Amino acid sequence: MASYTISQKGSYGSVLVELAPAEGFISEAGAMFRASANIDIDVTTRSRGSGGLMSGVKRLLAGESFFFSTYRSIDGRRGEIGLAPTLAGEVAVIECSGTNRWLCAGGSYLGSTEGLRLDTQFQGLRGVFSGESLSFMAVEGQGDLLVSAFGSIREIEVDGELTVDTGHVVAFEESLDYTLGRAGGSWIQSMLASEGVVLNFSGHGRLYVQSHNPDEFGSSLGGLMPPRES
Amino acid sequence: MEYTIQSQPSYSVLEVTLDENDSIAAEAGAMTWMSDNIRMSTSTRGGALTGLRRSVLGGESFFQNTYHTEGGQGQLGLAPGQPGDIVAYDMQGDNLYLEKSAYLASGQNVRIDSKFEGLRGLFNEGLFILRASGRGKLFFNSYGDIQEIEVDGSYIVDNSHAVAWEPTLEYRITRGRKIRSFLFSDQLLLRFTGQGKLWVQSRNPQALASWVYPFRSMASKSGEGE
Repeated sequence: MASYTISQKGSYGSVLVELAPAEGFISEAGAMFRASANIDIDVTTRSRGSGGLMSGVKRLLAGESFFFSTYRSIDGRRGEIGLAPTLAGEVAVIECSGTNRWLCAGGSYLGSTEGLRLDTQFQGLRGVFSGESLSFMAVEGQGDLLVSAFGSIREIEVDGELTVDTGHVVAFEESLDYTLGRAGGSWIQSMLASEGVVLNFSGHGRLYVQSHNPDEFGSSLGGLMPPRES
Repeated sequence: MEYTIQSQPSYSVLEVTLDENDSIAAEAGAMTWMSDNIRMSTSTRGGALTGLRRSVLGGESFFQNTYHTEGGQGQLGLAPGQPGDIVAYDMQGDNLYLEKSAYLASGQNVRIDSKFEGLRGLFNEGLFILRASGRGKLFFNSYGDIQEIEVDGSYIVDNSHAVAWEPTLEYRITRGRKIRSFLFSDQLLLRFTGQGKLWVQSRNPQALASWVYPFRSMASKSGEGE
């Protein structure tokens, strides 16, 4: 079984994954920044049993990377890989028991054990109109899921109801019911308040939120840069 | 010279206390504060040719600023351009190789030059890297936190994450076993071989820039007002 050393000093969290002989691991393409020399690295559009080319296209449409990278130690010994997200922030390991699916925000997925099935799930047209990308990666099966947050990460045990801004959702257990809604009483009020789309959770389950909203950070920086041609 | 490194690893700054006649060289622009008896001189350190090689080839500044005290002890604070970690390394007559932009400061007997990397550099961060030599303290910095790896045999690192390595390590550009991982992943990997220390950073400034890029607004198609 893989074991994890999370380096969480300050703002730049990363994970060092230790792999058992022949054990495989998957990450978003490009997330690996260090690896022992006995690790074989491959690039694929699919995770185990799901997808193929079409699942890669689906992920592109969801604004995620087309490819996954897979890692495996090939000399019968243990190996290690270091994974880090692009943005500053913390990382966490979620143990998926297999009882419930997990939904993970596309930008928060960092990696997973190869036993987990990954699929992109769109949240329908309402997601498009909200202006915020609303697609989740559905994670199914038993294994470990690595997530990254922009800023600090917080685990919340939801029992009852909770409202979370979509830009702050990292991942949640699908035992939770959720509906898309607005923070204000009406769409206009929500727009005026700059509080866009929220997810209303209810039921019982685990939820991870991030302290900062990547889209807001991106927009504030993008506004400072000259316009792009295409 | 005494020093402390504060606010590690996210926003590290180097605070130096210099004795009389002591001096420290630093990357241009790194000085954040200094006591009133510190004098700064700007030179190419090692001659114009070294300065030129350092700037044109190594991506550092042509000039290096040297700080020394006049009368008693003096203090100054030095901070790199990127938020991240700082490592203090003891130079003992051997070389140390640094990626461009990793250099922060060095004692007076440490020399910073550039080193030609050839074709592998063309695919990597650039044709040249920095070479530190001599004796004394060398301070280098990263974007993100710095992880020290004791290499014995070989180890693989993403090229954008390599910060510094000892001269006992050799590196070459590598790829996954299958050709498609070379073609389709936008990653270049370096395989370091030998025995020695290697420092990597946990974040990649290039990846951050690519991430921000789509947030720029679109230019108007008509081209009016230009």
